[in-house]
Amino acid sequence: MQRTTLQTLSLYAGLAVVCGVLLFPIYWLFVTALSTLAEIRQLPPSFWPADPQWSTFAKVATERPILLWLWNSTLAALGSVALSMVVSVFAGYSLSRFSVKGGRSLGLFILTAKMLPATLLVIPLFGIFRSMGLIGSLWSLVLAHATLIIPFTTWMLKGYFDTIPRELEQAAMVDGCSPLGALFRVVLPVATPGLAATALYAFVLSWADYAYARTFLTNAQGSWTANLGITTMKGEYVTDWNEISAAAVFVSVPIILIYLFLERYLVGGLTAGAEK
Amino acid sequence: MSVRFLDLARPSRQHWLGYLLLLPAVALVALIIVYPLFVSLDLSFQKIGMATLSAPRKPFTLENYHKLFTSPDFWNSCWVTIKLVLVVSAACFAVGLGTALLVNNRFKGRTLARLFVALPWAVPEVIAVVIFAWIFDSSFGLMNWLFIKLGITSQMVNWFSEPTAAFWVVAITMIWKGYPFVSIMTLAGLQSIPEDFYNAAKVDGANAFQRFWYITIPVLMPVLGVTSVLVVLWVFRDFSIIKVLTDGGPLKATQTLSIMTYDQAFGFFNMGYASAIGIVTLVLCVVASLLMLGRKSQAMY
Repeated sequence: MQRTTLQTLSLYAGLAVVCGVLLFPIYWLFVTALSTLAEIRQLPPSFWPADPQWSTFAKVATERPILLWLWNSTLAALGSVALSMVVSVFAGYSLSRFSVKGGRSLGLFILTAKMLPATLLVIPLFGIFRSMGLIGSLWSLVLAHATLIIPFTTWMLKGYFDTIPRELEQAAMVDGCSPLGALFRVVLPVATPGLAATALYAFVLSWADYAYARTFLTNAQGSWTANLGITTMKGEYVTDWNEISAAAVFVSVPIILIYLFLERYLVGGLTAGAEK
Repeated sequence: MSVRFLDLARPSRQHWLGYLLLLPAVALVALIIVYPLFVSLDLSFQKIGMATLSAPRKPFTLENYHKLFTSPDFWNSCWVTIKLVLVVSAACFAVGLGTALLVNNRFKGRTLARLFVALPWAVPEVIAVVIFAWIFDSSFGLMNWLFIKLGITSQMVNWFSEPTAAFWVVAITMIWKGYPFVSIMTLAGLQSIPEDFYNAAKVDGANAFQRFWYITIPVLMPVLGVTSVLVVLWVFRDFSIIKVLTDGGPLKATQTLSIMTYDQAFGFFNMGYASAIGIVTLVLCVVASLLMLGRKSQAMY
């Protein structure tokens, strides 16, 4: 389709306006983090920090247990991703390759599990984890986040396995591979990009959680995750918006980096199992 | 021995290995999803404060559900939830569709534009709350400055103590966090439309609007159907944005069913009552998505 110069120009102009408005909150977060307290408290506000306060980041990182929170978030995410990926790789492969009795209804059940409100599930899980002595421990998050992740990863992986031709395993088995050997030596290596995308997506899901962390870990400061920690800063230091913003930058940058990396694969994750 | 496994390639093959591979997932899902679900269903029929598994079961009662349906609080939360679902979903669709159509054009830097347009997806909900709580801050927030500058208000608005204002702050935060999903999904749908469709329509003399209405929209319909279900479910169940931003207040103006469930469970320790609200929420979610998916299948004809 050929466009006139005017049309092209208005397209770019429209794009600039739309991106400017929609991305302004992210820009504002960074500007606030780099502003001085005086700049933050002046009206009209300054939209560009005259003297960027990079030291705020260092201050937040040393005076606040931000790094501990980030580490806890990472641990919980790694644990729940590992747990979910192991069971989902097998389940996704089974749903993709075998016609198992009840497999379809199991798949549908896992799908409806995505509809469960976390606020409902958190009540019995709190009781169960309390009897298991897991309250206050990151293990409670590993298990609770698996409830969020498994429905997605199982369907995402089934989707990836569906795209891998069965002839690949057939050939491997003719050469003397066992079915499990074919899965590990042939299918999984081929599916590596899919596995990586799925794991990253699961990581984002775990990292984003607030409800479970708040419920299970509020009284255990040493186990606070990034999201939980930052909300305590919001309540406590109402006026120091530059410090909260700097902390928020720490928390969002890992996810934004993953997003830039993951974008191509995102649709597979978002729609996992949704289309018939 | 491997010969008999060759049948793996036949779709109809049932094999013990298939069951074995499913076993870990089934066991884990049973343990952390199905069993807790039954526990909360059970709790919802007991008058129980703090839930402990070791304590003896309280007698069966319908009291929680009775209390629920006669409570003005519950109906208020239903109304707030419905309002929020309608406002946020509609706006997410408007912004999401608009941005997707915009970056679906061919131009230089399109890949970058696509990344940027959906960037809020990557901002964790709690961080989005921090940003918008600051923008709508009552003393030094940007929005008050903007409103006064534009002459919309003459004095500082305290966004979080005014029920209507707080509702809109929550809605705007959720729209900002939710539209990228619609955008990403729609863009994927748009990419699947062959250029030939449009060329053929142009040959037949269809104008831009007709091409949009008779080609783009029908092809997108299934994608939009699925997307709308997922967006509605997300707003319906969201916890962190509202909890951190307004905590359901002021005057319960932003208390959705999720917030009410959580507050009853962990604020007032009415685990039985809270479970009843949660179960009703789940039923509403399932009914809503079934209704919407039903409409989707009709729309495909």
